[in-house]
Amino acid sequence: MGKGFNWFRWRPFIQGAFLLLFFLLFLQTTYRGRDVIPYPVNLFLRFDPLILLTTLLSTHRLPVVLLPALSVVGLTLLLGRVFCGWICPLGTLNHLLSRLNRRPRTGPGGFRWKYYILFGLLASSLFTVQVVGYLDPLSLLIRSLTLAAEPLWNLAAHSAFSSLYEHGFKVLEPLYAFLRAHLLALRQPLYHQAFAVGVIFAAVLLLNLLRPRFWCTHLCPLGALLGLVAFLSPLSRRVSPEDCDLCGLCQRLCPSGAADSREGLWRKAECFLCGRCQVLCPSRAVAFGFSLGKGEAVEGMDLGRRRVLLSLAAGAVLAPLLRLSSLPTRGREGLIRPPGALPEAEFLRRCVRCGECMKVCLTGGFQPALLEAGLEGIWTPVFDFDLGYCQYYCTLCGQVCPTGAIQELTQAEKAKVKIGLAHIDRSRCIPYSQGVDCIVCEEHCPTPEKAIKFVLGEVVTPKGPRRVKLPVVDLRLCIGCGICQFKCPLEDKPAIVVTPLGETRGGAFLLPT
Amino acid sequence: MDRRSFLKFLLLSALLPWEQGLASGRPDLVIAKGPPEEALTAALEALGGMGRFISRGDVVLVKPNMSWDRPPRFAANTNPEVVAAVVKLCLDAGARKVKVFDHSCDDPRRVYRRSGIMQAAKGAGAEVYYVEPGRFRRVRIGGEVLKEWEVYGDALEVDKIVNVPVLKHHSLARLTMGMKNLMGLIGGRRAQLHWQLSEALADLAAFFRPQLVVLDATRVLTAGGPQGGSLNYVKEMNTVVVGTDQVAVDACGARLFGLDPEEVGCIPAAHRRGLGEMDLRRVRIKRLDGQRI
Repeated sequence: MGKGFNWFRWRPFIQGAFLLLFFLLFLQTTYRGRDVIPYPVNLFLRFDPLILLTTLLSTHRLPVVLLPALSVVGLTLLLGRVFCGWICPLGTLNHLLSRLNRRPRTGPGGFRWKYYILFGLLASSLFTVQVVGYLDPLSLLIRSLTLAAEPLWNLAAHSAFSSLYEHGFKVLEPLYAFLRAHLLALRQPLYHQAFAVGVIFAAVLLLNLLRPRFWCTHLCPLGALLGLVAFLSPLSRRVSPEDCDLCGLCQRLCPSGAADSREGLWRKAECFLCGRCQVLCPSRAVAFGFSLGKGEAVEGMDLGRRRVLLSLAAGAVLAPLLRLSSLPTRGREGLIRPPGALPEAEFLRRCVRCGECMKVCLTGGFQPALLEAGLEGIWTPVFDFDLGYCQYYCTLCGQVCPTGAIQELTQAEKAKVKIGLAHIDRSRCIPYSQGVDCIVCEEHCPTPEKAIKFVLGEVVTPKGPRRVKLPVVDLRLCIGCGICQFKCPLEDKPAIVVTPLGETRGGAFLLPT
Repeated sequence: MDRRSFLKFLLLSALLPWEQGLASGRPDLVIAKGPPEEALTAALEALGGMGRFISRGDVVLVKPNMSWDRPPRFAANTNPEVVAAVVKLCLDAGARKVKVFDHSCDDPRRVYRRSGIMQAAKGAGAEVYYVEPGRFRRVRIGGEVLKEWEVYGDALEVDKIVNVPVLKHHSLARLTMGMKNLMGLIGGRRAQLHWQLSEALADLAAFFRPQLVVLDATRVLTAGGPQGGSLNYVKEMNTVVVGTDQVAVDACGARLFGLDPEEVGCIPAAHRRGLGEMDLRRVRIKRLDGQRI
């Protein structure tokens, strides 16, 4: 490299290109007319070494689909945290927002926090609690975009164009048609946890006003992992003492706090390789290069043995604590998992709460759990059949899940998977309670041989006995897709409800015959 | 029938273009058989040509039954070839624009594609688009059951409606044809219509009054309706029924299916209100399929 290394000038373009790629893949994470999504929409997650490592620890198995992440480890081993500085889409967003922060960076503050967070996460995943998704930057970004940003953008666009339309102003209709075809969701996405997820995302972005790239420098566990790897890299940064006039510009410009103008000190594990110090140095004193030795100007990494042990212990204790507080004695009635989801314990060890499945769900039925799956399962996907249902031919969620928590199924396989069973509430169901034909559930039931049938029966009504078509559920045929609950014409509490009873992944459930 | 409704019937049926039909020797209803496009073209010719219904410059809504995520062979949606042929005939008759949409039961993206209708109708020159949730308008229906309801804005604004239903079994209505197909133009909690289906459908028939009904009986879903899902239920009939009297077309469909029109609730309901004729002996039918009804 040496002084001729001007690749740094390309960094903004490469950052922009990766951010664009990220958004394009995000937009393609939806049904666009093909049963199989032709793009690798979860690509970024599959290149995430933190998810690779924690999944390996929590499942005690090598997650083959995540192996591309090793290339990021290799890259970091060679060139330091270029992932943070050049590739990470959340890093790039933080980078852009940091530009609003005109206050100069002060000294290195809580840089160590992220390492403790990392150690805590690693320890907890070793003890089979996989909570990495809350703090992994890619999970966080995709989840926040899916649950909060996209709904917000859709609401704004749909309301704006709808009110224009209502007032007879139709000039912008072609623009709206274009947006609908490419950038807007078909129907307004709605998620229970949108507010919480949105506030957290806003906080992550606004922290850049406190310190440039606060998230990346203080909190990001992936950054910490890559920092540890980067520390081993042969990368070096030399400040020529003859040329440096101690102006301190590099320290002020450095977004990561890695550069210290005192004696050209460099915190290797913190550096994003953005190259601003080299490019903008007025006396051209800074040069990145390679050296096999440790390099004299590299500051050692002192995390403190006690604190490291403490964070490991905290992570280890998380497992029993989380599980002690939520030991279920019965199955949880609201816990309906996607078709193809692994058995619950195994599912929780894999799900990284990235929200890809919620983004792709055809009907918007997936919702981030609050307590449906216990404390351990917050923001994992559960079905809310009042908001959407599992479309009979759709297999998208299994295609986009980056960790295999939801297995990919073919349409034929999926048609045989039960995610629950439907139950009729006869005290509310219109034919049973009012003696009036309805049959909306039967009509929508998608199985070739209907799982909801009707039988003619007599019902006592205020107007005397009446013969009506009474819906009954055939538990052998019901797959729990929830369309009956979703379409039930009772506006508040539906008279047919699906619970996870009898779900295939739960193992043997003897059907009453 | 009491005297009052009989008089009403007389009065209303006077409004129907009986005279025109008789004077020109034109039938009110044509049954044709064969490949969809040819059968349809012949049927419309017998009716006096599409130009009778579509004026130059009209914006026409061609309303197929596009409800379910099933490919054409399952007969759960209108045959895409029939839709395309209707679109083409409308455009040939001088329509300025032909719109095709439906408020599908399943996810519309899947339904529009898998039914084959989007591709076929676009290919024939129609504008095919999804229903926008924000564009239903609550309007006065003035019916017996439906006083007011959410109706899709575009369905109110078009000049002409050509209803293109498919003939199929329906678990509640017995059969779904033209009048039932109009449910695809409304929003709200429309499933509640099921509680008083026949009268509600007659309300919709009175409200929308399509200019022309093209009943697709090319493939007929004989059981498991309305969405089917098994080829065992599908019967090839290669027939289309075209007419201006939406009650007569539905009544004819019922007969083709092998039912008495009286058995399909909305038909007698609409007949009683004078929306059309369900007694096929009183309808001038022309058969291009070489059979007698």
